[in-house]
Order: sequence, then structure tokens, then C-alpha cells
Amino acid sequence: MESILVLTHADETGSALNNASLEAVTAGLELASRLNAQLAIGIVAADATALSKCLPSEGARLLAVSGEAFAQARYATDAAACEALCRAVQPTIVLAPASSRFTRVAASVAHRLGGFIDTHISSIGGTDRVEATRWFYRQRVEAAISRDARPWFLLLDAGTYAAFAGATGTAQVEQVPVELPALRTMVSGFRAPTQGAQTIRPDAKMLFVAGAGWTKKQPDGQVHATEAGELIVGFLAATGASLGSSKSLVDQGGEGNSVLPFLTHLNQIGQTGSTPRHAKGLSTCCHGEEPHVVGWRFIGDRRAISLDPNCGWTRGKADVVYVADAFEVIAKVNALLGAAKA
Amino acid sequence: MSASIESSTALGAPGFDSETWDTSTVDSPAINIERQTMDVDIACVGFGPAMGGFLTTLTRTLSENPTDPAFESKAMPGMPLQVLCYERADDISSGVSGVVTRGLAIRSSFPDLNPAEIPMAADVKRERVLYLLDPVGASRRSALLRLGDSLLGLGGKLVGLKDHAFELPWTPAFLNKHGGLVLSIGQLNQWVGSQLMASGMVQIWPGSPVAGPLLTDRKVEGVRLADQGVDRAGAPADGFMAGMDVRAQLTVVADGPVGAVGQALDQKLGLPEGHARREWALGMKMVIELPEDSTLEPGTVWHTFGYPEPEIFGFLYVHPDRLVSVGIFVPSWMSDPSRTAYRYLQHYIQHPALWPYLKDGTLRSWGAKSLEESGKHGEPFLSGDGFARIGENSGSTNMLTGSGVDEAWATGTQLAEAVIELLRAGKPFTKENLAATYETRRRASWVEQGAEEAQNARNGFQGGIVQGMIGMALAGLTGGRFSLGGHIPPAHKQIAHSQGGLKLKDAAALALADGRPLHDALLTARGWPEIPFDGRLLITQQDALLLGGKVQAMPGFADHVAFRDPSLCIACPEKTCIAMCSGQALTWGEDGVPAFEREKCIHCGACLWNCGQSPDGEHSNVEFRAGAGGLHSAEN
Amino acid sequence: MPNALHIVVCAGIVPDPLQTLEPVTTAAGPGLKNEMVLPAVLDPWASSALYEAASLTTKNPGSRVWLVSLGPKAKLQAVMMTIAQKVAFELVPIDGPIGGFPEAHSTAAVLAETIAALPGLDRSHLLLFGGWESATRGAGVTLQLVGEILGIADQFQGVDQIDLREDGSFEVLERVEGGKHQVSVCAGTPAVLGWATGGLAEPRNNPQIGMANMRTIMPALQKAKVAKLEANGLSYVSVSLPKQQRTTRVVKDLSPDEIARELVEWIGAE
Repeated sequence: MESILVLTHADETGSALNNASLEAVTAGLELASRLNAQLAIGIVAADATALSKCLPSEGARLLAVSGEAFAQARYATDAAACEALCRAVQPTIVLAPASSRFTRVAASVAHRLGGFIDTHISSIGGTDRVEATRWFYRQRVEAAISRDARPWFLLLDAGTYAAFAGATGTAQVEQVPVELPALRTMVSGFRAPTQGAQTIRPDAKMLFVAGAGWTKKQPDGQVHATEAGELIVGFLAATGASLGSSKSLVDQGGEGNSVLPFLTHLNQIGQTGSTPRHAKGLSTCCHGEEPHVVGWRFIGDRRAISLDPNCGWTRGKADVVYVADAFEVIAKVNALLGAAKA
Repeated sequence: MSASIESSTALGAPGFDSETWDTSTVDSPAINIERQTMDVDIACVGFGPAMGGFLTTLTRTLSENPTDPAFESKAMPGMPLQVLCYERADDISSGVSGVVTRGLAIRSSFPDLNPAEIPMAADVKRERVLYLLDPVGASRRSALLRLGDSLLGLGGKLVGLKDHAFELPWTPAFLNKHGGLVLSIGQLNQWVGSQLMASGMVQIWPGSPVAGPLLTDRKVEGVRLADQGVDRAGAPADGFMAGMDVRAQLTVVADGPVGAVGQALDQKLGLPEGHARREWALGMKMVIELPEDSTLEPGTVWHTFGYPEPEIFGFLYVHPDRLVSVGIFVPSWMSDPSRTAYRYLQHYIQHPALWPYLKDGTLRSWGAKSLEESGKHGEPFLSGDGFARIGENSGSTNMLTGSGVDEAWATGTQLAEAVIELLRAGKPFTKENLAATYETRRRASWVEQGAEEAQNARNGFQGGIVQGMIGMALAGLTGGRFSLGGHIPPAHKQIAHSQGGLKLKDAAALALADGRPLHDALLTARGWPEIPFDGRLLITQQDALLLGGKVQAMPGFADHVAFRDPSLCIACPEKTCIAMCSGQALTWGEDGVPAFEREKCIHCGACLWNCGQSPDGEHSNVEFRAGAGGLHSAEN
Repeated sequence: MPNALHIVVCAGIVPDPLQTLEPVTTAAGPGLKNEMVLPAVLDPWASSALYEAASLTTKNPGSRVWLVSLGPKAKLQAVMMTIAQKVAFELVPIDGPIGGFPEAHSTAAVLAETIAALPGLDRSHLLLFGGWESATRGAGVTLQLVGEILGIADQFQGVDQIDLREDGSFEVLERVEGGKHQVSVCAGTPAVLGWATGGLAEPRNNPQIGMANMRTIMPALQKAKVAKLEANGLSYVSVSLPKQQRTTRVVKDLSPDEIARELVEWIGAE
């Protein structure tokens, strides 16, 4: 019989579990129910007791590794914490969120346990045996995999399960002791991109995709990068959308072209960028095929403004394409949104 | 031991040494540049079939006895011969084409060649020549052709007409590729190149455009690589690195029909008396994966003519694994100033003789390249002090047989044999020594015999398709003893400056209405049906670039297309360069000079000869320099 | 030379991102159609790692860079032709399968064994570099596993910057959620750094670097050891292209005003 451990950790504030962890809890509950397996949930946090109140009140054994050393994400401490939780539970399947914190350590923990790991899991299914679905080649190929070997670690991509929202708050938490190695790394904090305001908003409802067309010559034969920048920033401010961009646009910095100052490589989506998850997406001035369009693989409702209705970003990929000049349309949209706020 | 290094300072614009380059048309600031120098024995430019033949033959001999003192490096004493090859494309398999070839020279280098070893290669099994009628009614056909078409139509099945196509009862011997090979040159290059690299006797560097030859008087002393870290105009920018001077005792020029080194040599040394490069064609094609139930056998070869325009020849070659190369040639003698290739290719694949085989296929690749079709008329000086020219840029393509790859490979092997002979004899690579060894071999070979037979075979095309076909048949069937006479004007004069039925006004209105390019609108205005885009094989030109060409341009290189005299562009009413630009990299510029986008250029070189203006009466107003980037498909 | 570094860059080869990819089933398991025909490049993130390694080496005399790469020998050779002109390195090729489907733990074991056996490598000065994920398997675990097998206790993933200090310690910026970087200071080598984009542009092609590299690359390729990778109980149930074809409504005849109104309504809708 399978035995499942879900690993969770605190968010940046330390006072709550992060959303991705709660999604992993949902996945654990579902899988345990389907396999009729034992379920345990492990917490890594400075003060795990407080966080346990976010977790199911029954049906799962709760364990925690607590202490100031776990207030921050760090390889040595997090790996030791996860290892201790695994050794305490002896699970056959370990589920964890693919947060930056656990992505850093999960493979090593699997190795320490003599187990194996698969990551970027987008769903867990199978009837006779556990089968997990994940992406290869930067979201361009999808595969269902299975493993005979145990323990099997599965790192779940954010957004693939709903965050746990069941009854909480009464179960006891077992504290698991950890012996830490000598620490050679100190975490001193966070740094936001140096250029301009933060434009990456993972929790936003909408992704706004700016393509290289914004900095190309417009019908009057001129480049209007400043105006493009103002329109994009205006739209982001009015909608709270997150900003994604194509590789060709973020790469322009090195070529002496007019570039949009608030864009960095962190904004890049697609083949060699990120594939964020948002409910809606609006692409503007984008043109590209499969390698680029994977950038909005996980966008729910997609619309595009493009002068070419047959372009790869639009045909078969968007729900609606407006054949129009994005400069004109976004200016009007911003005006309407501004008027609505006023 | 490292390469010997020294620094030199040249006063001039980056990439254009004032001593060796005509700087009069380069609009760049004059600056002092520290330029590094490297010494090698043989510097090679361009990796294609000619270079494949050269390096294969050379490295085999070097490998037989690497310590042979005859093959000791003079640039680096104690080391074996230092042979470096620079290729401008991002990969040695990028940006070249699929062909059918008799493969005589290739099989001679690889007597035990098994085509199965080379992806996409197959033995030629079956050849057909098809005359395609116009099922659409938009083709610009003469009254004579229309009459012929009507008669064929009346004859119908009785004369073998099927799917608007008439199959010639036999393939003329001069076109016959029996016993030959269907190849992807990209894959052939990769196959040959990997063997060469593995030999350890030669280094091949893709992504390394060569700006031009290092020329002192009439002696080539090596090559200069293109500057990196420059802006579009060529001025130093972030991460500037001046292109290195690679000094060599012998420079082997195999940079194709529009290569920067070949062009510079033509310009500086001139061509032999009476020679000129005036005949060109653009080959554009798709590589399509056929549906699983396809009945086309690998090795099937179709040659077509008659559609989409009478001047446009077409082809279909079937590779293994249900892959097919299908495409057209648009020649310089097609005088239509609005001639274009992409839109015609879309109409071509929809012809009823082809479409049933293709319609359920998937686009794998797309590309285009210029073909230098002057043959002997355009042959340059094959060698000189410190240099030798092989392959297409040496005028080796045989336009009677429609064969270039085999000839190119053969000229490479001939040069390699000559180089080995000279090295063994301890003789330098002088004009006389190269003439006595390389040129003598070439003149005595089947390449030369074929070139002589083909020399005047295509003269008739200046008078139209019917005259041209008669002339070609005459030369082909008599081994070149008889041919039609004819004057071939410079390429820019082959573009008619006024032509009836252009429907410019209608086209302009259409282009304004939906933003499409003017040349595309022209075809619609002339009665060509709109392309019913399906997102698979029927796609916009931009999507062909993305889906099939996978075009990319590395930042940090200068624009490689420039216009010598902008006033000529402003005054040019046709701007055929824009209509024929394979990648839509040239567009209407606001000041009347076409705007160039390097990121869309596939380096086909069509703009060079599709320019109706000339500052000197012979050459066009387009300057096509060395540049990086272009197609990223190995299946071409 | 207190900061002389021994940097080992693990870098796979991947299909040129511009290529069309289609999965097929082969005798050896899943693969890509025409896998050996597709042009290949050095993995984009691992390339960042290589360029950062070269940059560190020029700033810290006495340092060395090894490039450990597992892939079919012929493909490795082809990729070397495009990167060997960029930065100086010693190639350690391992002749093995191509692509994203081989098992990661098995790959890591081969890499770790190779690195442990590198002649002249001082593991106390080791910085183990690589991409934070590959563009093939995209698992983001191989480098961690190599580090763990080699017993390295400090690891960083999604790295965009490293600043080496005179005392041998270094500050690292790692990508975390929300477009931010986590800032850490590590006491010194050895450490594992899985790179994201980094901050360096792709270096220019330098023929002299290429010529020098090739003298060691070709002999190394000829001597490349052959790796056989185990499945470790991993099996593929199915491998397919995602079916995400949508029915696209093309709106051609609306004015910018009308489009803007429709969009604003759509943006506000739940």
C-alpha cells in the first residue's frame, strides 16, 4: 500500500502556508483517497504550529520541522528539514510544490532517501498504478510517466490543483527534530529587479504579452518606443496585469535599439522563458510560432491584437484576435479604464 | 603551441580596410581599429559541396601520412598543415537547398556510398517532365502558348493530358539524372562536415562571416572576418570586436553566388574579357512531409514548366521518410518588374498535378537561394596569386543540365589534387602554379566540357519562353554545337521598366485596404485567386519564415544589405527588390529607400540581382555584404 | 591566487529552439522525430553558466573551466563548432543518448562519476555550474543530484548573478517567485550554481579561442567514454504533442474604439 507525504512550507511572511503548498495538500488528499493510502503532511517553517491551522483537521498526520533556521529558504537547512520529515514518515510517494524553495532541495532529498524524483507534474492519474503527467521540451511535448521505484517524489507545478480549502485547525502537529550541518550560506533578503517597478505579478488575473512589434517601425516609418512604453505601463497600472515579453524584445538591450526600460529577462516567456499561469492573456504586437507561443500555454482565456490574423500567436491559439494597430487600441483601452476609475 | 598573433592598425571603416576596399559607398565613421592577425596555411571561405569536395580530398591525403614533411605547416612550423574554413551561416547544415544530382563526383569521392547513411538521400528512381497548363487563367501567357494550351486541352486524355498537365513522353538526355541522387544539401553538408571535423585535420567554423579578401595589388593574402559588436551601420557598439585578419598562403573561395569574397574579387580583379554575371534565378521551395498513405516513391523526380508563369520552372523531389522538396525557379529573364516568388510558390503547390499529393502534408521546412546561371559567360578568374575559386561562385553550374552540386564538388576535388601536388613539389600558391595544376585539371574535365556545351544554351530565353526552350533543346540535343544567338543584358536591364496590364492602381488600392505588400496585391489585381490560408501549407510569407525557415539573426553584426546610391532607389518606380525579397526583409521605406530588417533575411541574395537600377551600368544598386544569421533548418 | 576557481559546467545539447518538435516512439523509448537531423545547440541556460564561468575565470587568474557534456558524439562535435569560438574551456565529452527522455538520476550518476575522476580537479575550489533546467527534460534536478552525489552542501538554483569577494566568499542572486531575487552569501567553494539567464551577453566569436579549444576538443571527443543510462524504474505511458487548437474568432471590421470597449468589458468580466 502506498503511503503519501505532502511537504509544505511557509510563505514569505512566515505566518501562512504558501498557496502552492496548499495546492499540494489538495493533490495529496485526492491521491490518498483514490489509492486508499495513508497521508501525512509535513511543514517546514520557523513556527510550524501556527501554520498547521491552515491544514486539514482530520485524515492526515501532521508533522513539522520548526525553528529560526527554517525561516528562510536555504539549501542546507531545507534539505535537512525535508529529509527529517521523510525519514519520520517513510512514505512511498512524496508530493511537494514546485516552489523555488522546494525545487532547490527536492532532488537531493530524494537521493538521500534512495528515491527518485520527477518534476513539473501537471496532474496525477492512473487507476492500477500512479501515473503523472509532465512536460518536456519547454511545454512543447507532454508525457504521462510512471515509476516502479519508491520513494517517488513528485513536484507539482503551481496552479494545477485548487488550494486546499477544507475544514482546518484541530489536528496535533508532531515536531520532528533535525540535526543541521554547519551553515555556510546566509540569506540576506530579497532584491526586486533594478529596472523600474515590478511588472511580474504571478497572482494577477491577466498576463499582458508585449511582442517585438512595439519597438519596430510603425506606419509613419518611425520607432515609437517611448510611447510604447507609456502605453504598456499605463495598461499594467490600470489593470494590475502581469507583463510577459518575447525573447526578441528582451534581447534588444544589447543591440543599441530603443528598448522598454522596465523589461528584463525575468519578463521573458516562451521557449527559453517562463510559462506563467493566468486566467486571461492579451498578446500585443507578437508574432511567432510554436517555440514562442508556449509562453501562453497555461493562459485561460486568450485574446490578441495583431495586424496579421494568420500569425502563429493567433490562429488556433487565441480565442479572439482583433486585427488592428495595438498602439491605437491600447491607447483607447487605457483612456476608458482611466475614465472608469475616475 | 598557439597561433602566431600580431596586431595591426588599419585606418578605415570597420570591416572595410581602405587599402583593400572601395570605401566610397560605405557610410561609416572612420576610426582607428586594433585588428588581430592570425596566420594559417589555407583559409577557406564557405562550406558547401565545393568545399566538401576540396576538404574531403585534401584531408584524406593529409591523414594518410600526417608527418609527411610536405604537409608541415609553414604558418606554424612543427604543426601539420593549418586548414581553417569559415562559414557565414549559423550551422554548416543551414540555409542550403535540396537537389537532384547525377552525383558523379560525389560517388567518385565515396565509391561505396550508401545513400541510407545520409538523411534525406535517395537513389533517383523515376523522372518525369511535366508541362503544366494554367488551371486558374491568370498566367501571363503569349497567344502562341495559349493556342498550344487550347490544342492540348482539345486533345485531352487522348494526348495524355491529366490534371492540367502534359507529361513529355521521355526525359531529354541532357536533363536525365538517372543513376543520380536526391539529396538535402543541408544533410549532405552535415554528413561530410562531421567526417572532416572528426579527422582533426581541418577546422570548420559556422557563424563566421568573412567580410572580404586581404588583397595587395592582385595577390590575396588571406581574409578579414566580419566585425562583431557593431551597430546596423557597422560602427563599433557594445562588445565591439574587430574582425580578425586571417593570413594564409592560399585562400579557397567557395562562398557561393552572392558571397562577399567572390564579389570583392570580381570587383577588384575584374572578370576575364567578355565575361559578365548577368543571369540569375531564385529557387524557392518547401520541404513537406507527405501523408502516410502517400504513393510517391523515394527517388521520384518531377521537372515542370509552364505554370504559374511560363518563365517559371518547378520541381518535386521525393526523399525517404515521405519527405518531398517542391519548389520553383524565378529567373532574371522574367522581365516582369513585379516578379515575386513566394506568392507564386503558393499557387504552384496548388496546381492539380501536385496538390492531391501534397494537400494533407505538413510543412517541415522552407527556404530560398539565388542561383548564378551565367555559366561560362560569368566565369571569373579561377585562380590567381594566393587564391583559387571553386563551386558556384567560380561559374561551375551547368544550366543546360540544371546541375550544380556535382560540378561544384568536382571543382573542389580538382583544387585539392592541385594543392597536394604543389605542396609535394614545395611550390608556392602563385597564379602560374595554380593555373598549371588546378585550372589545367578543370579545363580537361567533364565539368569544362559540360560548361562549353551549356555556354549558349539559354541565350534564347531573352526572347521568351518558346524561343528559350527551342534554344535549350537545340544545344542539349547537339552537345552544344548549335545554339541560338542572343545578347544578354545586365540583370538590371532585364527588368522591364514598363509593362502592360500591371494594374498598379488596383493593386495599390488593395494594398492600402488590408496592409498587404504591393507585389502580393498586384497578383490579386491581375486575377490570381487569393490564397485560402489553412495554416499548414497555405500560409502567409511571414508564417513561412517562422514555420519553415526558422529565421534568426545574431545581434552584433552590421546590416549586410545596403544601397549604393539612395537617390536611385528614391527614383526607382518598380522596387523589384522588395517584390522578390524571400523573407519580406525589404519593405517600402518612408524616404523612398527600401527599409531592411536583418532579422527576416534568409540571405538568398535575390535583392542583388532584382534591382532595376545601376550606378555603373553593370552592377545593381544593392550591396550584399557578409552577414551572419538566416535560416535555421537542416532539412533544406 | 586565493580565488583560483575550478569551475565544472554541466551542459547538455538540445534541439535548436526554433525547430519543430514531434515525439515518436523508438526501440529505445520515446524520442523526437528526426532527432539526429535537427540542428542542436548548447542548452540555453547552461550556455549562460558557461559564459559566466568564463567571465569568472578571466577575473580570477589560475582558474580552469571544464565543460562536461553528455550526448551523441557526432552531435557534440557539431555543437562544439558553434561554441568553441566563444570562450575557452576543456571539453569532457560523454558519448550517450540525446534528448529529454533519458532518466535524470542515471544521467546525474554518470556526470558525477566523470567529474569525480577529472584529473587536476581540486574539489575544494569547485564551483559546479549548469542550467537551472534543461530545455529538453526541463526537470531542474540533474545538477542538484550531481552536487549531492559529490557531497556539496551549498546549492543555488535560478542564479542570475554571482559576486566573488576577496575573502573567497560570494553573493548569489537566485530567482524566486514574483519576479524577485533572493540574496545569499556563501562562505566559499565548493558550491552548486544552477544558472538562469545570468547577466552576460553571448560572447563574440573569437577565432583564436576556437583554434586553441579545438586542439583539445577533437582529441577529447575521440576518447569520449560511452555512457549507458539506466531507466531506474521510469516508464513512459504516453508521449504526445499537446492538443490546444482553439477556434479563433477573427475580428476584422471593428474600429479601435469599438475594440477597446469590447476589451475593457472582457478585462472587467470575471
